[in-house]
Amino acid sequence: MSPFFKGKKNADQNKPVDPMPGAITSSLQDNLAWVKQKFGNSPDIIIRELKIGSSKVKAAVIYVQGLVDNQLLNDFLIESLMQYDSSSQDETRTQMLDNLSDLVIPMGGVKEETEWSKLFESLLVGATLIIIDGTDKALTVASTQGGESRSISEPTTQNVIRGSRESFTENLSTNISMVRRIIRTPDLWVESMKIGTQTNTNVSIMYLNNVVDHDVVKEVKKRLKRIKIDSILESGYIEQLIEDQPASPFPQIYHTERPDVIAGNLLEGRVAIFVNGTPFVLLVPVVFIQFFQTPDDYYFRFDIASATRLLRIFIFFISLIGPAAYIAATTYHQEMIPTHLLLIIAAQRESVPFPAVIEALIMELAFEVLREAGLRLPKAIGSTVSIVGGLVIGQAAVQAGIVSPPMVIVVAITAIASFATPSFAVAISVRLLRFAFMGLAAAFGFFGIIVGLIMLTVHLCGLRSFGVPYMAPLGPYRPVESGDTVIRAPWWAAKKRPGLFSPNNVKREAGSQMPAPPQPRTIKSESTEKGNQNES
Amino acid sequence: MENAKISPRQLFVLIILFQLGSSLLIPVGLTAKQDAWLAVLGGMVGGLLLFLLYYKVGSYYPGLVPTEYMAKIWGPFFGKIFAFLYVLYLFYLAARVLRDYGEMLVIFAYPETPLFIVNLLWMVLVVYTVRKGIETLARTGEILFVVVSILALTSLLLLVLNGSIDTKNLQPVLEEGPVTLIKAIGESVFFPFGEIVVFTMIYPYLNQLKKAKRVGLYALLFSGFVLSVTMAVNLSVLGFSLLSRSNFPLLSTIQTINVAEFLERLDVFFMIGVVIGGFFKITIFFYVAVMGATSLFKVKESSHLVFPLGFITLFLSVGIASNFSEHIQEGLDIVPLYLHLPFQVIFPLLLLVSVVLKNRKKQKKQLAMK
Amino acid sequence: MNRKRTFLFGLLASLSVFTSGCWSERQLNEIAMVAAIGIDRTEAGQYEASYQFFNPANIAGGLQGGGGGQSPPVSVYTATGDTIMEVHGNMSRKISREPYYSHTNLVVVSEELAQKDGIGPVLEAFDRGSQFRVTTAVVIAREVKAKDLITTLTALDKVPSQKIMQTLESTEKAMGENINIDLEEIITALVSPGREPMISGFTVKGDPKEGAKQESLQATDLPMTVEANGNAIFKNGKLAGWIDGADARAVLWILDRIQSTTVTTEWEGRKDGISYRLARQKTNVSAEMKNGKPHISVHVHMEGDIGEVIVPVNLKDPKTLEKIERDVGEEVKRNIESSLHYTQKIKADIFGFGEVFHRDEPAEWKKIEKKWEDEIFPNLDVDVTVESYIRRTGLRNNSYLSEMKNK
Repeated sequence: MSPFFKGKKNADQNKPVDPMPGAITSSLQDNLAWVKQKFGNSPDIIIRELKIGSSKVKAAVIYVQGLVDNQLLNDFLIESLMQYDSSSQDETRTQMLDNLSDLVIPMGGVKEETEWSKLFESLLVGATLIIIDGTDKALTVASTQGGESRSISEPTTQNVIRGSRESFTENLSTNISMVRRIIRTPDLWVESMKIGTQTNTNVSIMYLNNVVDHDVVKEVKKRLKRIKIDSILESGYIEQLIEDQPASPFPQIYHTERPDVIAGNLLEGRVAIFVNGTPFVLLVPVVFIQFFQTPDDYYFRFDIASATRLLRIFIFFISLIGPAAYIAATTYHQEMIPTHLLLIIAAQRESVPFPAVIEALIMELAFEVLREAGLRLPKAIGSTVSIVGGLVIGQAAVQAGIVSPPMVIVVAITAIASFATPSFAVAISVRLLRFAFMGLAAAFGFFGIIVGLIMLTVHLCGLRSFGVPYMAPLGPYRPVESGDTVIRAPWWAAKKRPGLFSPNNVKREAGSQMPAPPQPRTIKSESTEKGNQNES
Repeated sequence: MENAKISPRQLFVLIILFQLGSSLLIPVGLTAKQDAWLAVLGGMVGGLLLFLLYYKVGSYYPGLVPTEYMAKIWGPFFGKIFAFLYVLYLFYLAARVLRDYGEMLVIFAYPETPLFIVNLLWMVLVVYTVRKGIETLARTGEILFVVVSILALTSLLLLVLNGSIDTKNLQPVLEEGPVTLIKAIGESVFFPFGEIVVFTMIYPYLNQLKKAKRVGLYALLFSGFVLSVTMAVNLSVLGFSLLSRSNFPLLSTIQTINVAEFLERLDVFFMIGVVIGGFFKITIFFYVAVMGATSLFKVKESSHLVFPLGFITLFLSVGIASNFSEHIQEGLDIVPLYLHLPFQVIFPLLLLVSVVLKNRKKQKKQLAMK
Repeated sequence: MNRKRTFLFGLLASLSVFTSGCWSERQLNEIAMVAAIGIDRTEAGQYEASYQFFNPANIAGGLQGGGGGQSPPVSVYTATGDTIMEVHGNMSRKISREPYYSHTNLVVVSEELAQKDGIGPVLEAFDRGSQFRVTTAVVIAREVKAKDLITTLTALDKVPSQKIMQTLESTEKAMGENINIDLEEIITALVSPGREPMISGFTVKGDPKEGAKQESLQATDLPMTVEANGNAIFKNGKLAGWIDGADARAVLWILDRIQSTTVTTEWEGRKDGISYRLARQKTNVSAEMKNGKPHISVHVHMEGDIGEVIVPVNLKDPKTLEKIERDVGEEVKRNIESSLHYTQKIKADIFGFGEVFHRDEPAEWKKIEKKWEDEIFPNLDVDVTVESYIRRTGLRNNSYLSEMKNK
């Protein structure tokens, strides 16, 4: 149990409303009464009173309906308790408890506990309590955990063309097991803690012990322990409580719902933070360039992956300064537009009653409204919204002369570009910054945009994520042996891990593995065998 | 001094961006007419010598900035006075460069906008960066260096494709005789190469102090080479007469690009390159000035000074000259002789002499003691 | 403290953005884009400038229902003034929008103005202003007013100024008898002591009054056409004479600006019997002191094909080809010498021989720089050598004409 939890327990004890001592007593009645009182007679706390087998000792089985697997409970636990045949009549109640644990209950995760706080804690995660009259100890059976939970399904936020179709669920242990199934080494370490005085949410951190930078692990634990909050409902709470620089629109922690992404990042030396109740798992530390990577980058051939990655960076800039550049070019720098293009734009703008910046703002706002509406509505109505929006913005507004067609094109391209950004977290901050850039462009033209971009670069370079500079490995430049930045090197060339996160263990693969055709290049018949040897 | 470390690579990049900053904007060595590019190379050699001088003085006090070791060499009173003058010099230069860039933008793209407003936006950017510290600035440098390089190479390629480079414009070589060339070299030693004196305030941040000398020399060589090539390209595209009439020759050069009736009007290339260069030039001057003031007045946190000093620099930049020609003329006539010469050459030389004498005395004493 | 600072900073940053008040902003529907400027001289010696403004809606067409047809693609306004800036000011009385010069690609100067006042003072404002591009082309209106060139509508290219620009470009490329020279080159030539500018002339054939009407475009054979017509030679910034046809081509030849052209030569008594199509050429000009006198050598190296023969000739015979090569070379040499003779007479060094001399003999140049134009250049010894090659004869070797003659 983590020291942090101990701290929390002390806090509980200090509460004046608790008249009862923290430990279980030997009277079953008192104990049950206490449980009822503590839970306010909630009907989903099931207290099943029974007599243990032949000894007729009074006992109670306590569990929370829905958190336990009823079948397991009935078939294995309750049944074996009832059929228990005490070998000697004179065994004490404590001995009986031991026997139950050692001989009777055919399940894993049986533990003896005395303190209420711990009993309640395990009860609330789905364990079953067994209390026997006459002892001041109780048994918890953790493996009755069960009940309904969502099954593993396809990821909804990070779709890939090639790669695993699994995504995390809301269940912490399922999630951890999904990563365990990918990385099968004892070096994959998991540490758990509970955060939230009310929700007692399970939070686990996971890392590869032989790869990770232990300073980062220490820092992660330190920051997690610092959290004092009543509830953690989603990993977003944790993200906002432990990030380095809260006054930044950029995400400094990566989140994903894909086990393969977590596995890949653990292998590069990052630390994953699992939070019970959400399929989104956090990863630290991150660098900015990571938000431009997708899982299939690593599954596709390197040349295609590199090209698409460059495209994404280009897209990032379009969605950031698209409308701003249009405003700057048409209101300040008309000389930079080719004459004929400018004439076309001018002809279209002739009847528009607003300055370009207002026009752009109207269009951008309309678009944001549409997007927000489409996001929240049920799918069936969503398509209606997009039709209406498309008609209003695309057709009617242009025909009425309220906006000019070039502006519609610019806004549409920008919108598509912002959808094409792989990370929603970055896309959403870009959406915000886009308006700032439009302001700069309206006031200073390209000079404003360039100053804004430099300021953005300065801001990004000033960020750190758990001690790692955000713009690394570009600024500060680090030679990247893994070859995984704005481009992705082929796997046979990526011999090392990025030293940023795993300074101690960077070697990743054996020497030269570049595939090559067998030498000499002769026709199949005689050379296939040699060829195979060459490749090994 | 803030608690920060930069790598030799970052220092290298910073020196280059700093050197190229305003010298790309304002032509250097024009006294030598079409040999200006030679004058730049000559000036670079002078710059190397100056750099070695600063390095020598600094090497007696590793990890200390000039405003600190001046007090050690010349005693607290005189040292402080000179350090104060030195800080004023840095502020003046920061304001000058700010003025250069503000004027450039007003002339080139924003004729109706008051200079003050343009400079205000510059200063907002600079103050923001200086508050983030030297490490952030160095990292930004690494990234923007790549951007500038791409821009420069693209422009060069386009100029070649366009056929605007006419090497005949560089002939005849050495027409005005060696005397004029030497005079032009003398000018370009102070600006831009001598301005490397500000980096004496930055060397102490280097995480491998041993490499300071090598990095400085290489960076100067590289930037000298790039500047010389730029001058040669400007000259061969524009010819001397047009170049000497242009306030911003590089802009005129870029404006001649018209490849395939499509890649034309690339003024924005010029703007990006020059704004990035200007950003580093102003920021480094201002940063160094603020750091000098911080160490001189023993202020605990340099960030307390950034705002007020930023305002002072802003007003100074608008107030130092009443019009652009006056500003440029001051830069050509007054500044090199009365500011650059003492602060870049005479004071460092005096410092070196004093420190050598002092050390000799010390050694003698030690010998005597033995 | 820190938060206060951050707040202050944010306030400043946003202030700088919002108080800027968009001083230099120009909305597209508040500016009138100038396509071309024509400058004439009034009786009183003032400038009379005609601005050709784009009429975007009539050029772009598009959504508004392909307008175009009804009203002209450009409109012309005229204003007078003692200086170009004054004209600019006076223009504002006539049009509702601010003239915007960044897309001006043509300046037309009238012959009269170029002769009387010179071209120098006219161009100063264009060189200085940040809106004007240095790549703006300049032409001289020959025998007509500059305004006529500006107002005449053209058929294929909707915008008249673009028609002039493109004609200039294509004719320099195809014929080499007109020079496409921009503002920057003119000014460089004006200030250089060893060179004078040469500027293309344009004229309007037909009735300019008719040409200014939109209806005139309804005809297939336009009542008036804008044509390139010769080149103006300047001396000390003033128009000193015109140079046409083959002589003009010879100037471009020496300037090494010829890209392709056709040289015709006499064959067996038949004038223009053989046409030689130039494929590529390279001209070198060098200078030296010979017997204490400046001496210029021009060396032309050219390659090309046979373009047309209208006399029977055996093109299979290498000896014949050699003779044609020689004849063509002679023809070019004659052209060059004739144009040299002409320019030496008006003492205008449009070839830039002075600059060549400056490059090659900088020490001597210092001595003669002052008297180059008026004393040295008119009596300059120029040595012309032409080296010409025929590489191919086209798809045919001997012409069918030779078979017809044999019958």
